[in-house]
Amino acid sequence: MSSDGSAAPAPAALALSRASGGTLVVRLAGSWRLAGETPGVDDVERELEAEPAPRVSVDATAVTAWDSALVVFLTRLLAACKARGVGIERGGLPGSLQRLLELVQEPAIPATRPGERPPLLERVGLRAITWRDQAQEVAAFVGSTTLALGRFGTRRARYRGIDLGILLQGAGPTALPIVALVNFLVGIILAFVGITQLRRFGAEHYVADIVGIAVVRDMGALITGVVLAGRSGASYAAQIATMQVTQEVDALRTLGISPIEFLVIPRLIALTLMMPLLTLFADVMGVLGGAAVGTTMMHQAFASYLRQTSTSVVSGDVVGGLVKGATYGALVALAGTLRGMQAERSSERVGEAATKAVVSGIVLIIGACGVFQYVFFLFGW
Amino acid sequence: MVTVPEAVITARSLTMAFGERVVIEDLDFAIRRGEVYVVMGGSGCGKSTLLRHLLGLQEPAAGEVLYGTESFTAASQRERERMLRRVGVLYQGSALWTSMTLAENVSLPLQQFTGLPAARIREVVELKLSLVGLHGFEEYFPWELSGGMQKRAGLARAIALDPEILFIDEPSASLDPPTGRRLDRLILELKQALGTTVVVVTHDVASILGIGTRALFLDADAKRAIAEGPPAELRDGGPPQVRAFFGQGLVGH
Repeated sequence: MSSDGSAAPAPAALALSRASGGTLVVRLAGSWRLAGETPGVDDVERELEAEPAPRVSVDATAVTAWDSALVVFLTRLLAACKARGVGIERGGLPGSLQRLLELVQEPAIPATRPGERPPLLERVGLRAITWRDQAQEVAAFVGSTTLALGRFGTRRARYRGIDLGILLQGAGPTALPIVALVNFLVGIILAFVGITQLRRFGAEHYVADIVGIAVVRDMGALITGVVLAGRSGASYAAQIATMQVTQEVDALRTLGISPIEFLVIPRLIALTLMMPLLTLFADVMGVLGGAAVGTTMMHQAFASYLRQTSTSVVSGDVVGGLVKGATYGALVALAGTLRGMQAERSSERVGEAATKAVVSGIVLIIGACGVFQYVFFLFGW
Repeated sequence: MVTVPEAVITARSLTMAFGERVVIEDLDFAIRRGEVYVVMGGSGCGKSTLLRHLLGLQEPAAGEVLYGTESFTAASQRERERMLRRVGVLYQGSALWTSMTLAENVSLPLQQFTGLPAARIREVVELKLSLVGLHGFEEYFPWELSGGMQKRAGLARAIALDPEILFIDEPSASLDPPTGRRLDRLILELKQALGTTVVVVTHDVASILGIGTRALFLDADAKRAIAEGPPAELRDGGPPQVRAFFGQGLVGH
């Protein structure tokens, strides 16, 4: 772009003079490049204000080099002349510049776009309407997912079996290491808290009961649900949002394949099936974490720790935990796929969809956990 | 004798391959300043692969590419970036950044490579968008535009830095014929006005005849270039495969 000769090019210069009949002659000289300083049209405008001219003539024969900088200047000059009803003579411009200016002068398609920020009241209203629309969207999504589940149950849903297999693999077995690690650590934390608090009443030998019940009834499913929200929920949202960008979702629709059946149902099934299994695994890891603390801090025998756990935790606790796990799995899958389906066709929205999927997945899990506590309490489970 | 303008891009016995599979062998050509050089051929003949080689997105199996008199193939990454600074590319799918408005798309190269003040960049962006007939669409996002408008926006981004060489991959792909012709005309007008050298990769016969100064025909079966010259001459007096390409192309339309 910049000329890199040994001698610096002459800087851009602008000179005004008057020809016969009051015509204002604008003489341009030197190098008109973006990289250097170039004069603006203000001088010409001031001159036209001070002493109106019937015509303006541009002479660029002394210009040594130019790029967009000169074109920008000339378009500004043309606009300034047009605004004052002054004619302009472009004879002194090189042919290529004249062509370029003609391209610029072509009437642009009038385009309007709401750029103004609407007043406060209107914004409140718009926001309320958006919320209502979003609520409707969610309701419609849940509704059509339910209908599609019905078709899945009667084997009429269109999806690929292999997709479901891959999704099951991705949601379940590959999540084992992280689920194991996190739940083991949670078991340790619960045991520490339990021992330090129970010690005040001399009841620290109940630590196995506390950890066992907490992990099996709630923490196993809850923690695994949060892990899966970050893992599978985000990945579902990002994948479906990308498919929106590349019009793959549209391609399914036009083939008459419902994206709900093809994309949402397999993911929903995969997570709902895998979550109870992962929860069971998480329960075991949590109890082992507790046992690690119990056996070292309390010098309790490993076998006796396990025996104590097994007497305190009843099978109802385990089943309740698994039901919670399945529910959390379904919620994470719904949040992920919904956020993906809602995404607009832009790469920025892909990241946004993943973020929103994780946030709403975790919020839904915690909310559902609260509801479960209350219902279980009411029934005395 | 008319003096031939100097070559801006030269290929010397260039061989392109994917692993063991050779696409085109022994390619020799020179693209001269100010011409519209068309690389044509049927699907799968290596047109787009050649473009990727010229841009350094893929390395040649043998031979080299020269920008001016400098070897691009032997150059370091840093030198290549300097050479590519003089180049603008319009990709087949426009490749506009979807999370940015048109103005941001066009201003990104200016912000990254010129260090101009923001007001100056805004002026240039407005100019480039009005050159392609998109003045007033500065604040639109790419996905809010039609395919033809996206192509033109991509063109505005490609010429943002006043490139000496403009690469265009399939300009009329996924455009209806009238829109394709309008884009061709726009490319020609910009080329004449800006003095840019244009390298076009396409199989669109109407486009080749409409804008090409010279054309190179790549043949997938022979794995080499089998003809080079002004498109109209190739259509009327070229090898049989080339004439068939032109004939079928016209019928196909």
